[in-house]
Order: sequence, then structure tokens, then C-alpha cells
Amino acid sequence: MSSRDEILQRVRAGIGLGDAAGRRAAAEAWMAGRRCGPQPFLGGDLLGRFVARAESLSSSVERIAGRRSLPASVAGFLAAGQLGSAAVIAPELADLDWAASGLSVAARPAVDRDTVGITGCFCAIAETGTLLLLSGAQTPASVSLLPETHIALVDERRIVGTMEDAFALLRAEHGSLPRALNFVSGPSRTGDIEQTIVLGAHGPRRVHLILAAA
Amino acid sequence: MTAAQPLTFHARAGEKVRDLRLQAALQKARPLFVGKRAKGVAALAEDGLDFERLRSAGEEIRNRVLADLDVWLEIFEERARAGGAEVLWARDGKEICDLVIDVARRHGVSKATKSKSMLSEEADLNAALAAAGIRPVETDLGEYIVQLAGEAPSHIIAPAVHKSIDQVEALFAREHGRPVQPRSSADIPAMAAEARAVLREHFLSADMGITGANFLIAESGSAALVTNEGNGRMVTTLPKVHVIVTGIEKIVPTLEDFATLMRLLPRSATGQTISNYVSLLTGTRREGDGEGPTKTVFILVDNGRANLLGSPWQDMLRCIRCGACMNHCPVYFSLGGHAYGWVYPGPMGSVLTPLLTGLENALELPRASTGCNQCGSVCPVRIPLPKLMHRLREEQVVRGLRPRRERLMIGAWAWLARQPKLYRWLAARAARYLRWLAGDAAAIRVFGLAPAWTEGRDLPVGPGRTFHELYAARKRA
Ligand code: SF4
Repeated sequence: MSSRDEILQRVRAGIGLGDAAGRRAAAEAWMAGRRCGPQPFLGGDLLGRFVARAESLSSSVERIAGRRSLPASVAGFLAAGQLGSAAVIAPELADLDWAASGLSVAARPAVDRDTVGITGCFCAIAETGTLLLLSGAQTPASVSLLPETHIALVDERRIVGTMEDAFALLRAEHGSLPRALNFVSGPSRTGDIEQTIVLGAHGPRRVHLILAAA
Repeated sequence: MTAAQPLTFHARAGEKVRDLRLQAALQKARPLFVGKRAKGVAALAEDGLDFERLRSAGEEIRNRVLADLDVWLEIFEERARAGGAEVLWARDGKEICDLVIDVARRHGVSKATKSKSMLSEEADLNAALAAAGIRPVETDLGEYIVQLAGEAPSHIIAPAVHKSIDQVEALFAREHGRPVQPRSSADIPAMAAEARAVLREHFLSADMGITGANFLIAESGSAALVTNEGNGRMVTTLPKVHVIVTGIEKIVPTLEDFATLMRLLPRSATGQTISNYVSLLTGTRREGDGEGPTKTVFILVDNGRANLLGSPWQDMLRCIRCGACMNHCPVYFSLGGHAYGWVYPGPMGSVLTPLLTGLENALELPRASTGCNQCGSVCPVRIPLPKLMHRLREEQVVRGLRPRRERLMIGAWAWLARQPKLYRWLAARAARYLRWLAGDAAAIRVFGLAPAWTEGRDLPVGPGRTFHELYAARKRA
């Protein structure tokens, strides 16, 4: 007997139930029902909540009027931190005029030598101060991962309350899941040497969020 | 399966109690673990969330899956395949190793980066890979440290909690080919940066990533990975092959169920509202993607789990591996994780190790408990750990696994308890004897009949009369 069949047989013996078809139908019904567990009460100010949480997770936050102003504010941030003027960007941001702000950008997946990565995000979650990034040709996952500095553009209109809300938005706008959904909450960290928290374990040391009102 | 080390828990415990460096590390970590979780749980109230309601919801989700696990496994398998992943099954640790090595050979893999997978510890996968000429590199900083030390993790979420900064420094100096430097806690960021640089090279050059999965999502056929360091993202983004080795019980039905469990897992583990990186991985690289694995393989492992379904220990399969039970366990913090002898330490290990490796291989573990139920009261999915340990102790007796001397003594006691006159007479002699032994003191420092009992404590002694005698005297007065 194959391992698969043997394991499933052991499982069935343990459960001791017949009626596979009926139980399968019940499982399908449960999935279709999408019942949510206890939900947090977040109040009306999702933007304020998101900013407070993101800052408490060691991200820095600034606000701009609209997406078009992104290159200028990125240039300002990089100059203030002496972080150079080169960056890798998610191809979805390639339409912006980066050169006008004195930045030289490459739209592609990131490589090791990239020091700054700039992405958008699918949506942001107020409950935990989290970004949701989807992988894809226009949004490679490595741009938010390999560089030491990750700058993310967040559309204020796409700040939702909870992870459940993010999943609902995803189902409404995409048929199926991309290869990777990455929920990102601040810079990477470790506490593995004597329980001392250090930022920048393997991923970015620095996460800067730029919130655009439109 | 790496065997648990039979019957040596006592010996290991004695050794660990005397290891001062270990004791210092544990005493430092304990209040941090406990305090962070307490804060994280208390903060739920600010959002109008009740932790007990969340626990009930988590318990219910896990029970729902276990009740129809065969059906959920089939649904998961179908949907994972539809997403482009291969799904394989392993009965035991040996089969895990064979399957992983086979996948590696098929894809010409010479180095594999790993993000934490407890199943790979159960299978001793690193040794098998190395023997097959494939270099495994652990990338979680804690796992990396214990791998350099040639040790096993001593905690399921803080694998190197037993290591001091000097020990880590010595390991890094050796592995990274540089002289040892004096280190203080101010140097920890520099040490983490050094490991980051070394591991970055491995991330970029490995052909295969091996991970566990915190959960498997049935509705989408996805693996959920929860990390703080980002190593989970690295090993699932950069290598061309991704292998996920995980237990059959890890399924949750929907994304919504997953969201509920994510309100419990990081809080219970580290007190965080969410871990820095939570990834849901489905299938392989899509058309047009410039990165991501071209091959994704799930290995669904039994290794003793299916046998627990329908047994008195089924509740243990709800476990979401948060580590809260060990973080609140007085026994764990007296001994550290290695004393437990196998992959899983603390209360959950005391239950799982005998169940997965054989009751006779871990006779002492279910007794390594004070019965205080701190573990049961923090477990996010309400596993009644002390009850399960008691049930294991009972089972040891039923199966005749207790040592002969113990069985004889308990048999003799049972006989004596049924002879009231003789019992009273003997008890009265014993009470006087103990009083006499203690002399003027309130307690006996070293009790010659059972010296081990007084090794770390005194035997308090009563007034030299039995309860019966005192009661009778009081009635007369
Ligand atoms: S038994 Fe409970 S507390 Fe312990 S690791 Fe599992 S889920 Fe966490």
C-alpha cells in the first residue's frame, strides 16, 4: 500500500466515521461559509490606528498628497539618511518620473547588491500595522526582502481593518492566490542571541512607509 | 526517527541543574518570555477582544480539522496540486529523508537552506542530507547557532536560548575563521550582522529551500510560514526548489480560520501582535514571474500522529507549536530543553515524546511535572497538558512499564492499606522513628532510607504521633 493510502487509512481508523461523502459535503459547506472568529473593535480611524501600530513596530511613516509625489519624498528620505540615490523598484512603480527627483532606479526583482527597495502594497491592515504584498511579475517579492532599506507606498484608501478584511478584498479583486502573499510588519528582527532584539536579521533593517492620500 | 534516549532523563536532569551557565541563561529568559506574553494577551482588551473567546475559537478550529482529518487532507492535496505543487506522503522519519534526498537528486541540489522545521528534527534530516552529499544550512539565527554547536534546539521558538553570548562568539569565530573577541551585550547587533552576511551567501547560492509550515490552508492548498527574521521568505523566494515538510495535523480549513489562529500564535509565543513576516505560499512561480521556485513539494508526515486520533491523547494534535507551555513551566526552566532528550521540550514534549517515540522510551517524561497546570492555563488551543500526562502515567501502569521495584512497593502498600490494625501499628512506629531521627530539628536533612529524596530538600517531620492518635487524644480531652 502507498504511504498516502496507509496514512489515510490510519486516520480513518482513528476517527472511526464512515460517510465520507457526507463529511466532505460538510467540509465544503464550512469553507463556503467563511465564518470569521472573534473580531477586534477598531473604531473609525483606521488610518490613525495603522500609523500608530506601524510606528510601534519600528517603521517610520510619512504622508504625501498623491502617488505622483512618491519619487520626491523618496529622494528626501534617502538624502536625509545618506542612503544614496539608487534603488530597485517594483515594476508597478515604473511609470513614475524617478529621474526628475535625481534617483536612478531599476524595475526588476532585487539582487544582493541593491541597497534600497521600493514597492507598493496590495493593501494595509490597521489592526496590526501590517502591509500585504502579493508576488507577481509587476510586484516581485525580493524587492521588499533583499535590500537593507524597504520603502513602501501605501494608498490610504486601501487601509482595511483586519486580516479577514484583506482576504475579502483579495477574493473580490483576484480569482486565486498568487504564489506568495507576504504580510510584512516592520523591519526583520531576531532575538536569538540572549533574547536581545536586533533589527535587520535577514531582511530589511529599515522600513519606511509613505502614505498617499490619493 | 531519532530515538529518544531511554531512561536517562534523571541523569540528564542532574547534569543540567548543575550547569551554571545554562541556569543563568534560563533565569534570564524566563521573565522575558512570561512578561511579553502577558502584555500581549492583556493588550487584546484594548480592541475589545476576549482572550478566552479567542482560545475557544482556536480550539474549535483545530478540533474541526481533527474530527474529519482524512477529508481535509484530501481537500488540501487536491488544491495544492491544482496550484502546481507536488504532494508526497511520509509514514516516518526515514521516509522523509528518502523523499527529500530524492527530490534533491532529481534537481541536482548540492546545498539546501532551511527555515525551521520541527519535522526535519524528528527525522534527523540534516544528518541524512549530509550523508547524501547535500549540505544543509540552518538559517534561523538560533538554529544556525545550534547547528554550529552540533546540538539540537532546546526550545521550539528560541532554539539557542541555552547559549550564552560567549558560547555564540566562540562558535562564530570558529565557523567564520576569525579570532575570538571579548563580547558584551552591546556587541549583539554586530554578531547578528556577521551571521546575516554569512547566511546571505548561502541564501543566494542554495538550490533548494526546506521549510516546515505553521499551517496548511485547505481551501487554497497553501503553506503558511511565520517568521521574524525573514529567513522563511528567503528560502521560499530564492532557491529553484522548495520542499515543505510538515505534519498531517497542521491543516486549517479557511483563510478566515487562519486569521483567527494568527491572533493566538504570535501572542502566545512572543507576545507580538503579529510576527514580522507571515507568508502564504501557493504552488510555484507563475508565468511572467522573474523569481520564485519552479518546483514546490509538500511532504505530509504521519510519524505517529494518526495513531493519536481517537485515542485519549487526540487533544495533543491541536498543538500550534507556540511554546507558551514551556515558557511557563517550572520544570522546563530548571532544566532547559535538552534534558527532555528529544525534539520537543517542556510540557508538550512530555506528552508528545512518549506518544511519538514509544511510551517505554520516555518513561520519566510524563512524570516531569509538578502538576501546577500553568501550561494548561496558557495553551492557546486549550490542550489539557497535565491531564494528558496523568493519562500517560496511568497507561504506563496498565502496560506494566513501571520498574519492578516500584510495582512491588506499591503492591505491598496496597496490601498494607487493607490491614487497618497492622497499618496503624506500623504508622505509629514510623512516626516515632522519624521524630527520633530528626532530633531537635523540624526536618530531616538526609534521610538514609531514600537519600535521593533529600538531595535538594529536607524532609519535614511531624510531632511523632499519627493523625489517628492525635485525633483520639483530642476527643478524649
Ligand atoms: S501545547 Fe499549547 S502551549 Fe504548548 S506549544 Fe502546543 S499550542 Fe503552544
